[in-house]
Amino acid sequence: MREIRFTLNGREVSTSAHPMARLIDVLRDEFRMTGVKEGCGEGECGACSILKDGRIVNSCILAVGMIEGAVLETPEGIAATDRGRAINAGYAEAGAVQCGFCMTGMAVATEALLRQNPAPDEHQIRTAISGNLCRCTGYAMIVDGIKRAAIKGSGLW
Amino acid sequence: MVTFHRPVDLAEALQVRAETGAIPLAGGTDLLVRHRNWAGTLPRIDKPVVYVGHLQELRRIDISGNGSGPQMTIGASVTYSELLDHPTTPQLLRDSIIELAAPGLRNVATLAGNICNASPAADAACALYALDAEVELAGPSGRRRLPIAEFITGPGRTALNNDELVTAIHLPPDNSTVKFYKKVGTRRANALSKLSLCACARIVDRTVTEIGIAVGAVAPTIVRDRDIEHHLQNTAPEQLALRIPQTLQQYAELIRPIDDQRSTAEYRKHTALALIEQFLTHELR
Amino acid sequence: MNKSPISTAVQRVDSHGKTSGETRYLADYYYPDMLYARCVRSTRSRARILAVRVPELPEGYYYVDHRDIPEGGENCVAMINRDWRAFAADLTSFYGETIGMLVGPDRSRILQIMDSIEVEYEDLEPAVNIDEALALKGGPIHGSDNLFAEINLTKGDPDAAFARAARVVEGTFESGAQEHVYLEPQALCGTFEDGKLTIHASTQCPFYIRHSVAEALGWAAEDVRVRQTVTGGGFGGKEHYPDVLAVPLAVATLKIGKPIQLVLPREEDLEVTSKRHPSRITLRTALDSDGRILGMQLDTIIDAGAYESSSRVVLQRAVFTGIGVYDIPSVRAHGRAVATNTVPADAFRGFGAPQGLFAIEMHMSQIAQELGVDEDEFRRRYFVRRNSATITNGHVPEDVKLNELLERVKQLSDYDRKRRSYARGGGRGIALAFVQHGSGFTGSGERDIIKARVRLRRTEDDVIEVCASNVEIGQGVDTTFRKIVADVMEIPYTEVQLLNTNTDLTPDSGPTCASRSVGVVGYLLQEGARKLKARANEPGPIEVEQEYRQPPEIRWDAETLQGDAYPSFGWGVTCIEVQTDPVTLEAGVTGIWAAFDIGRAIDELVIQGQIDGGIVQGLGYAQIEKLESSNGRFQQITMADYVIPTSLDYPAINSCLVDNPYPYGPSGAKGAGEVVFDGAAPAFTLALQHAFDLPLRRIPVTPEYILEVKKHARNPVHA
Repeated sequence: MREIRFTLNGREVSTSAHPMARLIDVLRDEFRMTGVKEGCGEGECGACSILKDGRIVNSCILAVGMIEGAVLETPEGIAATDRGRAINAGYAEAGAVQCGFCMTGMAVATEALLRQNPAPDEHQIRTAISGNLCRCTGYAMIVDGIKRAAIKGSGLW
Repeated sequence: MVTFHRPVDLAEALQVRAETGAIPLAGGTDLLVRHRNWAGTLPRIDKPVVYVGHLQELRRIDISGNGSGPQMTIGASVTYSELLDHPTTPQLLRDSIIELAAPGLRNVATLAGNICNASPAADAACALYALDAEVELAGPSGRRRLPIAEFITGPGRTALNNDELVTAIHLPPDNSTVKFYKKVGTRRANALSKLSLCACARIVDRTVTEIGIAVGAVAPTIVRDRDIEHHLQNTAPEQLALRIPQTLQQYAELIRPIDDQRSTAEYRKHTALALIEQFLTHELR
Repeated sequence: MNKSPISTAVQRVDSHGKTSGETRYLADYYYPDMLYARCVRSTRSRARILAVRVPELPEGYYYVDHRDIPEGGENCVAMINRDWRAFAADLTSFYGETIGMLVGPDRSRILQIMDSIEVEYEDLEPAVNIDEALALKGGPIHGSDNLFAEINLTKGDPDAAFARAARVVEGTFESGAQEHVYLEPQALCGTFEDGKLTIHASTQCPFYIRHSVAEALGWAAEDVRVRQTVTGGGFGGKEHYPDVLAVPLAVATLKIGKPIQLVLPREEDLEVTSKRHPSRITLRTALDSDGRILGMQLDTIIDAGAYESSSRVVLQRAVFTGIGVYDIPSVRAHGRAVATNTVPADAFRGFGAPQGLFAIEMHMSQIAQELGVDEDEFRRRYFVRRNSATITNGHVPEDVKLNELLERVKQLSDYDRKRRSYARGGGRGIALAFVQHGSGFTGSGERDIIKARVRLRRTEDDVIEVCASNVEIGQGVDTTFRKIVADVMEIPYTEVQLLNTNTDLTPDSGPTCASRSVGVVGYLLQEGARKLKARANEPGPIEVEQEYRQPPEIRWDAETLQGDAYPSFGWGVTCIEVQTDPVTLEAGVTGIWAAFDIGRAIDELVIQGQIDGGIVQGLGYAQIEKLESSNGRFQQITMADYVIPTSLDYPAINSCLVDNPYPYGPSGAKGAGEVVFDGAAPAFTLALQHAFDLPLRRIPVTPEYILEVKKHARNPVHA
């Protein structure tokens, strides 16, 4: 079967997975990017969020054949950057993390938001994470964490 | 095992479609959700799939002007996010997109996919009814255009032939002066519709010259009735108010919702009529 | 507010790894040769199973069912009772019950085989709701009366109270099922590790799993090891439910001898796992001619589903919390946990209390409205105080700071002005709910059933190690436990090593539930740390153990359910403000305020996280989380249809704490995880009742329900 090529966290990679395989499965099972979580498998919860060409998408409802030539960034890739470290520090300071299962997806949503808008207001933040469900926090402390991340990483976005 | 076709251009896509009857796949937010299976397995689709999300011919938004304003041609693989980013996108469509999906879905989902899914609860499709959209189809014998209401023929059914693809959606100039969008969803964001109302009107010199009312999720297909609208046109708002009881009775005939896991028939009917009344009384001033 | 140093927030120990993706949850472990499991489930609510026809399996694929339970074992999931069968054998009692398990290397192949497995049923008539079950439709499901538990309590002289009554006010209040929606679905993996059967699980209670697996296999508990993996939320849903999956998985692991992963797809998780008990509670109140409460009658019914699980104890809490924060002189309470042919209900944050508190808060307001008096002042008049007699004829053992909490919430929310300016029926509403939540197990459960034990040691390398079985499920114990010990030992909290995920390495300090981890087990850690510190001058390694001891003034009779049902309480006042849409009858929450007495916060940010998350989850329960059952099947089984709050549904919460240190809690802390949930539903519903001027009797309060009430209410509440 033809290889599918794409860029993963800055690296050129390819997979021989079936093009209708779910992107989440390829990222997790083949590339061991287990920061990509499966919370629902129906595009509702956002735990499997990644960036595709700089925009947030749900990897559980994308077929890998659809991302040929795309530039993908996973939570692991984002976490390894200065921006990722600012997000992480903002969350930690705000106490944003509880069970954590949604947090990698939240970090991806945060990165996507701050790239478009480095100084978002409360409503813009809440809109940006509206596809990322969290059952623990009620969201306010995550919103606070994103505000702190924007300040900590000021100039990075 | 499901076959995946990734054509290089529209011509090849049409050829694949004609030869195999492959299901078109753009964003996948309906198709891949509907056929989802289990982690580590392929989706359960009993036909081949032809991917069109990457086709440059379908990724364009074209604006052509005529005397009455900009006309918008939206390529079938344009995403909701791209529509939101475009300055010409009509407000009603914009409002429906914002309420229908979270960013992660908007970044891949397409308008064409939404209408091909032909759900009576499709919010963006409801806006297209109100905006008099036309759907452009391409097939072996060339292209044709259908009004949206003729394209969607029933719940989950469209006029798309097995050898055709939707290539674009055409929006005529939006000259309305009043726009009203209200969706009642299961929650505030990223929600499915219990019902929705998309309505617009043009008021010139205190006369309602044009009116469009589309109601979603209250009948097998989205409800829009030009006869009822016709009776409301070319009237002053205060005269129009006198026609409201009769108008609501007419809509009550067309609004035939069901009970399902999201809402009740009773609530849907009551609220749809109440929203139409609100539009006619409060918005059309 | 006077703040204890321990309350100052620190950085959670689990924050970094969970954000970066380094932290691994169960599905992130890939064992060599790992197989996957999928459950074969009943598609009948009630039927005899006549035959299960499994096709000939390809090599490497296995079908596992009740016949694979080893000799000496028992086909049961041992919880409080043993009635829940590990595998349905000749009878199925709810839709989705496990009949067998299919195991193999390739998941596509497993699905193919699943399609060809045929189960032959002989249908029986199911009883799928409370009324059908009480009418014994189709014959009893459990015992002779379909009651898993029945409670009768009397306080004072209710007969005399009702005989003297000038008027009686009655109301029936109903609440629906609620799904936990922990973001990580149920996930377990069975392996042999060092030759020992090991169950890895996303769980709140590793020792519960160990117990149920050992009982089913007929083994000694020590022959089973359970390792908790980082757990993506629980809320009660991973208290007993993982046992239901662990037993079949253990049987399969034993049979096959290879690692087997069992992760429920979300839809399956929504459809077959336990929910919050639906309830129907009728309250009758006898009033004298001055409108004073003479006595009250409660009739509390919870829908327990097909097996008992924790329903007996959930019922107890629903009844014991059934008169809320009020000192009612005479009470008669009748409670029943009813068996139905539906998915067994089980623990969910609050554990019966939210149902009881919703009903009493709505009823007290109903009485006030019928009397034409202010609902807040009316309720306040009956607030319990220290030493007030409880519904179980025990006493309230502590200072009750409800008035202080009330004042704080009123200040935060500008309550009095808003309440005055929002006309009844005018579309806006603001209301208060008053709640209490007993910390820890009911009565002497901590002493007689749990017998919690923790171990602390100073190693040769001078490292402080803490062993307890209460686990991190998001609520922060990995941080707060370290803080409690570090505070005593006067070392940085990051230097405390915590061993709490492996049943071989830790003593059993009980389950992670019932608002007990910090309040009860944290206290043992504090006391153990004090012992360790007292011996600090000794050379070499030191180890100490600390066992639970019941506070001396607590008296409880488990037979008669008389005495002090809970040794301490969390208290709360929740205030919700709403704006309604007169056309669509939708409600938007525009303000949320709350004040709690949880003794003392071990960490302010951790507690804020509990408050925010608890209230938002409670608002979901009250407003949008509709879970209907039709013929015994849930109707909302996707995340698109069973909706939980998003970031745009509710505004930020403004909350505060009132310090009230508890002598038997670590640094004065009491439980906090549940009391924060309890007030949201009644406060929201009362606010809506005010905004619409309609009598609301049921949650979730959907716009569909509002329309129904509007159409059927002959008289508004205030008529």
